[in-house]
Amino acid sequence: MTHRAPTSRTMKVDALARVEGEGAMHVEIRDGAVADVQLRIYEPPRFFEAFLRGRRFTEPPDITARICGICPVAYQMSACEAIEDACGVEVGGPLRDLRRLLYCGEWIESHTLHIYMLHAPDFLGYDGAIEMAADHRAVVEDGLALKKIGNELLETLGGRAIHPVNVRVGGFYRVPTRRELAPLRDRLLRGRDLALATVRWVGGFDFPDLEHGHELVALRRPDEYAVIGGRIHSSRGLDIGAAEFDEHVLEEHVARSTALHAHLLERGNYLVGPQARFGLNFDQLSAGARDAAGEIGLGPESRNPFRSIVIRAVEVVQACEEAIAIIEGYEPPDRPAIDVEPVAGVGHGVTEAPRGLLYHRYEIDADGMIVDARIVPPTSQNQPTIEHDLFHFVEGHLDLPDDELGHRCEQVIRNHDPCISCATHFLDVTVDRA
Amino acid sequence: MTVVAVIGVGNPFRRDDGVGLEVVRRAAERLPDGVPVVEVDGEPARLLDAWTGADAAVVVDAVRSDASAGTVHRFEIRPGSEAFPPWRPGTSSHGAGLAAAVGLGQALDRVPPHLVVLGVEGQTFSPGPGLTQAVAAVIDDVAQRVLSEVRAMKDADVPQ
Repeated sequence: MTHRAPTSRTMKVDALARVEGEGAMHVEIRDGAVADVQLRIYEPPRFFEAFLRGRRFTEPPDITARICGICPVAYQMSACEAIEDACGVEVGGPLRDLRRLLYCGEWIESHTLHIYMLHAPDFLGYDGAIEMAADHRAVVEDGLALKKIGNELLETLGGRAIHPVNVRVGGFYRVPTRRELAPLRDRLLRGRDLALATVRWVGGFDFPDLEHGHELVALRRPDEYAVIGGRIHSSRGLDIGAAEFDEHVLEEHVARSTALHAHLLERGNYLVGPQARFGLNFDQLSAGARDAAGEIGLGPESRNPFRSIVIRAVEVVQACEEAIAIIEGYEPPDRPAIDVEPVAGVGHGVTEAPRGLLYHRYEIDADGMIVDARIVPPTSQNQPTIEHDLFHFVEGHLDLPDDELGHRCEQVIRNHDPCISCATHFLDVTVDRA
Repeated sequence: MTVVAVIGVGNPFRRDDGVGLEVVRRAAERLPDGVPVVEVDGEPARLLDAWTGADAAVVVDAVRSDASAGTVHRFEIRPGSEAFPPWRPGTSSHGAGLAAAVGLGQALDRVPPHLVVLGVEGQTFSPGPGLTQAVAAVIDDVAQRVLSEVRAMKDADVPQ
């Protein structure tokens, strides 16, 4: 049977499935060419920045953790980094190691959820994880087991798996003993095996053709695959400190979205997240993560956004290995937190949430009250880039019937694991060919 | 001996969505020893973990249909029974809930042989703590129903 798609059509998906939060997509095709692509974010804005004003400088880690049930640790870590920067304090040694360990738990849980529950069904032709589980039971069980190991790290260090309660400015309320961490090492060794199996599984998927030329932006540190702190680097030579983020990133409101759209001044749209980190920091991956990538022929030059699922799997290997090394070398600190006294001024914090760079800035007064707050989540930074990917994908696949094209477009969006709930300060798909 | 689990599902910061948690806390005061009470946010993997290993489970969650606030809906799942009632599926992974957990559990053969769901009709699910009066008023009655369900499960000869 031959199918001939009309030269003008509108495609819409009014509630995108398998994304974190609520949003929609609208594609307009006129005279056989893509006229417009919009990612619409309609979750109501939540005004976190406004209600941080007038709160104590110690409160942002707990308040901003509430922005997301999937990446609360990222919010806590960027908040702590920013407040501590304002107060002239640097948290190092075992306390910083524990923060990285907690963050490893979130990466393992968030990436595994996205790989197994949200993204893999796209590649295997299922409507969702439940339909996939019926045919791939052992694989899904492995995914759930891996996710649970991430949970266990969060529970041990954070006090609970969602919205951890043990993080504070300066460190933690309570730090674990070596004995408490020891069983997690064995679990993480199992986790690393499951993560390696995940890389081989997703590495064997068929990936649609799509190459992007986005500027990659990620943190970089001399000493590690950067997650907490460091300088903001890009594939085109950007090299700035956290304090310069404001001067380089412009956020603007667009009518179709309750999330702001971010651009690099005089440079345009850019990409944050696993593909950016992997492209910029490939040389700093743990040995096992690099070997796993090598085994399936994935290198730092990878620019196919559909392959992000493989990079996420490699990053889970990375997180497991990093967590194992931290536990093996752990010596509990003398105190669970260092004292932080308020200092009037502005502080900036940057960390790598599972979805990409997360920036916080706080201005506090001498009494420790918050005067101003700015939070730039990864999804607002990626939103123009996702639209860019959609535009080029639709342009290359105009011959597909609406339902197939719509489904593929949703997949293009899911490549970036957008967290719409975080970005609303977003999914439905529509294609208009009329 | 029949292993029974009692599970409360909900988010206490979305008003009546927290009713499942309140009911299992109330029931916990009067439950026999050896019956674990678990509170979960509704994330499917955690729900699966909560009832894995149990022969039977009672799950209390808030529901939204057209019934009046505080109405209790009872659903029962046994081997060979129909799929879960067609609750409106959410699209966001932030809102995946009990129906997804039952679906995933059935695909993975990880649903207890006997599962009873008590769904309490909520009135408002807006952000913020605290139940509306009509929902708070039924906590005791629903807790009592949990106890009766557990007792019946303990007494029953559950097919293995």
